[in-house]
Amino acid sequence: MTRGLATRLTAIGIVVAIVVLLGFTMTDYHRGLGARVGIYFIAILGLNILIGYTGQISIGHGAFMAIGGYTTAIMSNYHHTNLIATLPLAFAITFVCGVLVGIPSLRFRGVYLALATFALAVSVPQLPLKWSKWTGGSNGIRTHTTPGNTWLYEVTWACVGLAFVGAWLILRGRTGRAFRSIRDSEIAAASSGVSLPIYKTLAFGISAAFAGVAGSLFVLVTNGFAQPNEFGVTLSLQILIGAAVAGLGSLYGTIVGALFVGLLPELSSSAPLIGSSHGQDVVFGAIVILVMLLLPNGVAGLLHAIDSRVKSAIKSDPTAS
Amino acid sequence: MGMKGRLVAVLAGVAMVATIAVTAASGATRTDPGVTATSINIGGTFPLTGVASLYKTIPAAEKAYFDYVNDTAGGVNGRKINFNILDDSYDPSKTVPLAQQLVSQDKVFAAVGSLGTAPGLATWGYYNQNKVPQVLLATGDSYWGFSYKKYPWTTGWQPDYPGEGKLYGRYIAKNMPTAKIGVLYQNDAFGKNYYAGLRVGLGAKKELITDAESYDATSTSVTQQILSMKAKGCDTLVIFALPGQTITALVTATKVGWSPSATFVGNVSSNRIFMLAALGAGANLNNVYSTTYIESSSSQKNLPGVKLAASIVAKYAPALQSSFDNGDANVMYGFGVAWTFVYALQHAGKTPTRAGLMKALHSLNTTKNPFVYPGIRLQTSAKDNFPIEQEILIKWAGQDFQAIGKLQGGVR
Amino acid sequence: MLGLTRKTKVSTGASLPVLAGLAAAAVFLLIGCLSSDTFAQQTVAGLSQGAIYGSLALALVLIYRATEVINFAQGEMAMATTYIAYQLTLWHVTYWLAFFLTIVIAFVLGVVVYGVLIRPVQHRSVIALVIVTVGMFILIDGLVTWKWGADLKFMAAPFGNQVYHAGGVAFSRQDLGVLLISILSVILLWVLFQFTKLGLAMRAAALRPAAAALVGVRVDWMLAVGWGLAAVLGAVAGLMTEPYVFLQPSMMQAILLYSFAAAVLGGLESPAGAVIGGLALGVFLNLFGQYAPRDIGSSELRLPVAFALLLVILLFKPTGLFGRKQVRRV
Repeated sequence: MTRGLATRLTAIGIVVAIVVLLGFTMTDYHRGLGARVGIYFIAILGLNILIGYTGQISIGHGAFMAIGGYTTAIMSNYHHTNLIATLPLAFAITFVCGVLVGIPSLRFRGVYLALATFALAVSVPQLPLKWSKWTGGSNGIRTHTTPGNTWLYEVTWACVGLAFVGAWLILRGRTGRAFRSIRDSEIAAASSGVSLPIYKTLAFGISAAFAGVAGSLFVLVTNGFAQPNEFGVTLSLQILIGAAVAGLGSLYGTIVGALFVGLLPELSSSAPLIGSSHGQDVVFGAIVILVMLLLPNGVAGLLHAIDSRVKSAIKSDPTAS
Repeated sequence: MGMKGRLVAVLAGVAMVATIAVTAASGATRTDPGVTATSINIGGTFPLTGVASLYKTIPAAEKAYFDYVNDTAGGVNGRKINFNILDDSYDPSKTVPLAQQLVSQDKVFAAVGSLGTAPGLATWGYYNQNKVPQVLLATGDSYWGFSYKKYPWTTGWQPDYPGEGKLYGRYIAKNMPTAKIGVLYQNDAFGKNYYAGLRVGLGAKKELITDAESYDATSTSVTQQILSMKAKGCDTLVIFALPGQTITALVTATKVGWSPSATFVGNVSSNRIFMLAALGAGANLNNVYSTTYIESSSSQKNLPGVKLAASIVAKYAPALQSSFDNGDANVMYGFGVAWTFVYALQHAGKTPTRAGLMKALHSLNTTKNPFVYPGIRLQTSAKDNFPIEQEILIKWAGQDFQAIGKLQGGVR
Repeated sequence: MLGLTRKTKVSTGASLPVLAGLAAAAVFLLIGCLSSDTFAQQTVAGLSQGAIYGSLALALVLIYRATEVINFAQGEMAMATTYIAYQLTLWHVTYWLAFFLTIVIAFVLGVVVYGVLIRPVQHRSVIALVIVTVGMFILIDGLVTWKWGADLKFMAAPFGNQVYHAGGVAFSRQDLGVLLISILSVILLWVLFQFTKLGLAMRAAALRPAAAALVGVRVDWMLAVGWGLAAVLGAVAGLMTEPYVFLQPSMMQAILLYSFAAAVLGGLESPAGAVIGGLALGVFLNLFGQYAPRDIGSSELRLPVAFALLLVILLFKPTGLFGRKQVRRV
């Protein structure tokens, strides 16, 4: 497998180099854009852990982003907490929330789980309106200091690196194997001693925690302003789209998914003919459908297909050494 | 303002004028971003899609007015106004990158007329930090009026919601002292601010409020709230809601057999087209009151401002014709805002500067805006950043509203 | 497919405890209505709201039965067909003629959507299927906004505005009309599935596609018909909703959420369950809002309460009130 490992490390190396290079050469405005791509990366990574590795469908990650985002805004606003310090705090809080959500989810399967998490996505953003005294309600709440785009770019992509390495470590060990066995067959996993409740809720917790950090960064990149309209259903749907485009069950398509969701809406508005604020959705929606029709297993599936085609070509080539 | 204050104001004024003169003299070839020899670039963020998108006629009307000025007067001081309308779907996470785009990519001279409180709050730190004017915000919240010391580059335009609520409160307290009031309000800052203003206006008569019901923007009916008010014996209905729910509330009240002796509707939703829709759906609009601060394109067709607006719509924005003819207040609103911007631009120096624009907007004193209700004075000063502080009460009669009484001041 | 489920054993969903519970609830409502005018009015209002949730939920259930996918774009399809009806009325077509034309157009649209967008991905990946419907959601919303704009538009009321009074309770012809049409839809569907060859073929195609194909059922066409019918139901739901919320691209979005809850509440495979779920939800939310203590009954919590109710019921009966128990064999 050394060839495979070498290819992957090279790919990662290239991405890291591009990120760093762009960081130095991009305009300030584009750094903000780059930070947004990184935020989607983290959220999509988290969702992939849940759907791709344990087979539990969640359409509610916008809710966890909201929790993380509001944590950062509130802590910074009321206690002037250092912005970076709010990130692990958001991580911890959303981890707990994720586990709590995971517990009743043990009872739901498939589409019912999807709808239950969808219910979360819809309901959680309403809550700040209810407790408006602490959360600023519909007028939102802002952090004490607002970071600039350069800071955001650096911090976000540092978090991306941490998240990627963290995910990779979790998924290659025993936990990862347990996750995959649950995805492939819960009954087989249970009968071979994998504790379903522990691992399923753990997956929910980790996945939510990633989304929570993404949410904190999301608020920071929105001028430190947290407000319910930012965390609508469309956000959860966008992360889901990103995860699908990335391809489930593999970490390597994530960057494409993040780029897709982070940049395409922006690019759609300058598309010819229907490009405009109105036409943006038309183009984005059409492209999403097309991508799914052509690549139902996402980019990871495409990479896998290319990979196996290359392998079989090598195998069947009599002149290969 | 005492003697000392006046002295300070004069000195400040002199200092400002001197600074501008010096800057203008020394920076003969250095202009503010967005200003070229022949054009001025401005932009604004509006909810053209999404839940709050019924206001899209406002930027369309503003653009039409700028086109008119560009055509008939060659722009302002020879510079044509280019207005870039951007869509943020009322989502602050979209407004922020769009604001950054306007400032750092499009390099606009000013952000004009952007709509929405939350989008405004999300970006005013950014605009002010970069010293970019964020002016004539289209929202009735009062932050912009109050916080101009901390955010000197931001201004509003329209009378604020609490002020309007105050007017209703005062009117009820004076003319209906035994009313039993039922208030229906949206459960966010929009509705709550209106409600707070109502209470202020009622003053000692606050206890007239018998039932206050909030509703959530996702609910499809307000029957439960209306029923509750009817059950508690309310005879006066106050509705602080968006147009859809306002119409529903009016229709529901009639449907359940409740005819309040007076109904007050926030002016965001008392647009004639919505009232006509309510009529069409069976609502009884007797004794429906609201306020306005703009001329009505349906009932005041002979006013010079309305005639001018009609000609602009016909030539530059025919898509707005039917809205205009039906009395959609958003069209006249857009014209009113655009006129104010052009007026301020004309007073911002021969080569306009951002500082000059803000100075002009902070020292308004004119009754010449042809689109606002006759007699309304646009006035701002170092202590008062609310351009419009007068409204007039209107009452529904048959197919349209009619003004009652005189212009009320002291809204703020 | 995520997870390997072979449904070999099915039992009817309408179990005794559920029916008993519903009967008890009906009795409770009746007593309440007789004793308090406000209660009765809220119940009536809840029923008419619930009928709307139920009619969209019907469409969701129909599609789920046919292709086992939750169609996120159901609300938007309903909204788009309503706009088509609106456009027809702008072209001076009378309301009811436009209604029936729209139904035909909706059917064709449903069939086309199935053929072009759903069939290609149906068997490849569950998540891809979900995303396609999400993409449709975004696309349709964008198309409608692009063509007609996002400002409020109004159509003529289908049943007129007359209001009837019984005792101290008022209900409009519109409310009655919506309720009747929802119930009629369920009955028609039931008749279709139970008594017609087409219905039998559709059920076979959904339950046992391989076996059905072997006996000559054109499975793909049956699924397409399922989608077409669902689109028709959606169009009806949209047209019934318009008098309440008026025409705006976002008009069905909040309703879709409640309809999801209603569909799951009733059990995703039961048309009757969808409508009953919708009615129950509508009535529950209204009564809850009226009588619950201020703090929890406040309007911000309306949506969360709806979903909390749903979650509670699912905890006890994970396949919904009328859902069939699914036994999974390894």
